[in-house]
Amino acid sequence: MLDNLKLQPIENWLKKNNWSFYDHQLETLKHSKNGFDILLVAPTGGGKTLAGFLPSLEDLVENKSPNNKLHTLYISPLKALTVDVHRNLTSPIEDQGLDIIVETRTGDTSSYKKNRQKQKPPHMLMTTPESLALLLADTKASEFFKYLKYLIVDEIHSLINSKRGDLLSLNLSRLNSITPDCKRIGLSATIKDKDSVLSFLSQKLKAKIINIEEKSKPNIDILESNNRVPWSGHMAGYAIADIYKEIKKSSTTIIFVNTRAQAELVFNKLWHENEDNYKIAIHHGSLEKEIRRKVENLMSHGELDCVVATSSLDLGIDWGKVDLVIQIGSPKGIARFLQRIGRSNHRFNQPSRALLVPANRFEYLECISAINSIQKQLIDGSTEKKGSLDVLAQHILGVACSNPFQLDELYLEIKNAWSYRNLTKDKFLEVLEFVKNGGYSLKHYEHYSKIGINKENLYAIQSSKVRSKYRLNVGTIVESYMLKVKLGRRTLGQVEEWFIEGLNEGDTFLFGGRILEYQNVQENHVIVKSTKDQHPKIPSYAGGRLPLSSELSLEVRTLLNHKKSWEEFPSQIKDWLSLQSKFSTLPSEKGLLVESFPRKINNKKRFFLISYSFEGRNANQTLGFLVSKKMQRMGYKPIGFVATEYALAIWSMNEVEDINILLNEDIMLDDLYEWLEETPLLKKNFRDAAIISGLIERKIPGQVKTGKQVIFNSDLIFNVLKKHEPNHILLQVARDDAYRGLIDLDRLSEFLKRIKNKIIYKKLDQISPLGIPLVLEINRQTINKSDVNEYFLEELESEMLDEVGLI
Amino acid sequence: MKVINFNNHQFKINNQGILLWLEKKIAIISDLHLEKGSSFASSGQFIPPFDSEETLNKLINFLKIHEVQTIILLGDTFHDGGALNRMSSKVKLIFDSLVENYEIIFVLGNHENKMKSPYIKFYERYIVDDIHFLHEAVLEKKYQISGHFHPVASLKINSKKITEKCLIHSENHIIMPAFGEFTGGLNIKNPVFKPFLNRNYYIYFLTKKSVYKFASHDIKT
Repeated sequence: MLDNLKLQPIENWLKKNNWSFYDHQLETLKHSKNGFDILLVAPTGGGKTLAGFLPSLEDLVENKSPNNKLHTLYISPLKALTVDVHRNLTSPIEDQGLDIIVETRTGDTSSYKKNRQKQKPPHMLMTTPESLALLLADTKASEFFKYLKYLIVDEIHSLINSKRGDLLSLNLSRLNSITPDCKRIGLSATIKDKDSVLSFLSQKLKAKIINIEEKSKPNIDILESNNRVPWSGHMAGYAIADIYKEIKKSSTTIIFVNTRAQAELVFNKLWHENEDNYKIAIHHGSLEKEIRRKVENLMSHGELDCVVATSSLDLGIDWGKVDLVIQIGSPKGIARFLQRIGRSNHRFNQPSRALLVPANRFEYLECISAINSIQKQLIDGSTEKKGSLDVLAQHILGVACSNPFQLDELYLEIKNAWSYRNLTKDKFLEVLEFVKNGGYSLKHYEHYSKIGINKENLYAIQSSKVRSKYRLNVGTIVESYMLKVKLGRRTLGQVEEWFIEGLNEGDTFLFGGRILEYQNVQENHVIVKSTKDQHPKIPSYAGGRLPLSSELSLEVRTLLNHKKSWEEFPSQIKDWLSLQSKFSTLPSEKGLLVESFPRKINNKKRFFLISYSFEGRNANQTLGFLVSKKMQRMGYKPIGFVATEYALAIWSMNEVEDINILLNEDIMLDDLYEWLEETPLLKKNFRDAAIISGLIERKIPGQVKTGKQVIFNSDLIFNVLKKHEPNHILLQVARDDAYRGLIDLDRLSEFLKRIKNKIIYKKLDQISPLGIPLVLEINRQTINKSDVNEYFLEELESEMLDEVGLI
Repeated sequence: MKVINFNNHQFKINNQGILLWLEKKIAIISDLHLEKGSSFASSGQFIPPFDSEETLNKLINFLKIHEVQTIILLGDTFHDGGALNRMSSKVKLIFDSLVENYEIIFVLGNHENKMKSPYIKFYERYIVDDIHFLHEAVLEKKYQISGHFHPVASLKINSKKITEKCLIHSENHIIMPAFGEFTGGLNIKNPVFKPFLNRNYYIYFLTKKSVYKFASHDIKT
């Protein structure tokens, strides 16, 4: 087969490095040439990227593609990934002197370069879904994409079932209208539902899946430490010395953590241990681009000994000679973990080596379960998401910015997008009205309509101002308002506004691996200075944000109930569990264990209720809201609760008397919808939807506040809207997002059914061994904030007035 | 509602920010910013235009229960000069009925200074007995009730921060919270408040359910 293909240059380059083509790469090439759109499913390190590009490269070499015509488009979810792939492609191209121009285009690309690319398109362009949306919203979009022959979507599994995926889905359909003959290749890691992913990519009849199984089982262990595994927390401070020993033993190590705060802390602690002066770097999304690029570059050249990273490095990046992956804290999901460990020993067919470091005792159980699941080859699934309407609104405006459209044609094109295949005409029209003028037939709003019908009976934008505003607002990742951190003249990165709000002058915190002292905020910059302090004063946010998958959760429950499996546990964990069974009892696999005990908080006696639901944090959190609402009604005065993957702890001013009424299934689900209307989460989702849909403009860093308020605060509209237009599109979106995100409704209903009549209640005099981690959790969530605050205010007010001798 | 003694006159403040001078049957509110929502249409932000209706209904409901003959609006009643024209017919009806059934005193606010209306007379300052009603407080020894600043206060309770609208009572000043449904607020920590705050002053913290009175030294943030 090789003789028929003009792959000589690529082959030469491979040979130079002692590599050769994998079967699946050639298979991809063959089927693509035969006119198939392809989804390639392979574990990380499987040479997916090259497989994706082979058809395109072969075509470019064989047919000497003309210059200044875009031939291949590569889309990936991460900026870092596009840069990395760009680097990987240019290597063979330059080496073999091929006349192929490859460029990247992301939010980091300069406007000069962006303009040049539009005038003189490269042969291959690497970009993100958001940048693609912007390109398509251009008046010259059809011209730009006219000659496109190959479209590659990388890490496609991570994009679908998200709002970013919705946006991409719409744009894929748009591209299909412009170049229907373009060939598509999707690259995906191992996932459960492959058929949906293929449909997302392509609806052609000639479309197939090429599936590569993991050839070798990964080599995973749990870190052995002589230090005590803590009760709670997420920092794994106890294990730093042991981790350092592992770094010493390996050539290049990646340490994965789940949050930016963890990355900073682990990095800081490692440097305190670093007597041998190893090159340890840190990488996360809030750092300045230059810093990130530098780390990525050093990494790929094998010049670093260790990198501490969050998910920004998570996806498919080729990592030179990584031979050890350490995961701190539970990976929270099997698929995610497999992808991460695929990174070590980046040679397909050779086992990767990974080490899990649980940060607390419960995580230990999680880690063991993760290992078991992998050995059993279980994969977590993900629920399908229907296309969001706020994203659709953004898209419709984008289409209008590109060129006037005909109503029915656009509707059909949208329906061809996999995520929107079930969109009704009515819904489409509702969204269209919203885009025009918010959906209000007020004279004043009509006057400023964004789009309207032109002389040719097509919908078009009313002014170029609409287009420029659109360009500033595009994107579906709504970040919390970020401020730039400035040390002298240097910008180190960005930090969330809410974090800074809590700081006072002189407070120290960790960022970019340094300890900084907060001075003040000027415009949109946080001014800091260096400090000699060894320990930051402000504890970083400690929570893990990733929810535990239901598959993993089930494994943990099973594990707990089989005493025999405990044999392999370290004595600390074994003792802990034994103590629990003596003092109280172990959570059951099928039913529900509920414990109650009194405890003092801030010198005030409170009553705790712990339910070991093991349903994952989302479901537990929802349960928390529901139960507390009921407790409020029943006069127990709940004050706060903590939800983890394993359990829910609620504390109240009064002691609960009847546990069975509290956890009654029927009343629960009725409360759910009512409760949902009151949550802060709904407001947050609404805010995101308001920005994505273009109702409200996005805050732009550097925008100076003038006397006149330029951007509307969405929180102010929320309550009024609920009253006057409870079915407003954006409220629909907010609710849907809440159901998907926080609620995990399916899981919760299953749970409630499961435990019916199977509640085991233990009334204790003090906290149980299993309860300790919960109570120590830093994350506290309040219920129906205003009501809780009322209790405190009452208490506080009467105290103070008593003191002063008033009332 | 909580009682405020202001220069030997008795006032009552409710949790929505309506001040009532019982003896005179005067209701005092500030910064309604009617039609603020619709004012954003010109920048392409089509804010749901229900704020005016909500704001006026809040007032109507209050008037149903309390004996009021005069309503003093302390300025920024309208978000801008075009507000009256943008009102929906429904809102216009409510507004007109208020004007018909009550004596309404419109104090002039900065948002209205370009406004020209044939049937609204604006006052720079309105005086009843020894109380001066104006939009923005001034450094005079007179007893003043004013608005303009949209005061908001934060309290730290049990390591939680709660922020709500408030009324400030500082010796000869009462600074009103903003009544408008879509109005934001300025924290009393902001230096603009300083000239008017004595060493000891009171804040009336307004929540969804009630009014809480705190002395300045209670507020740690």
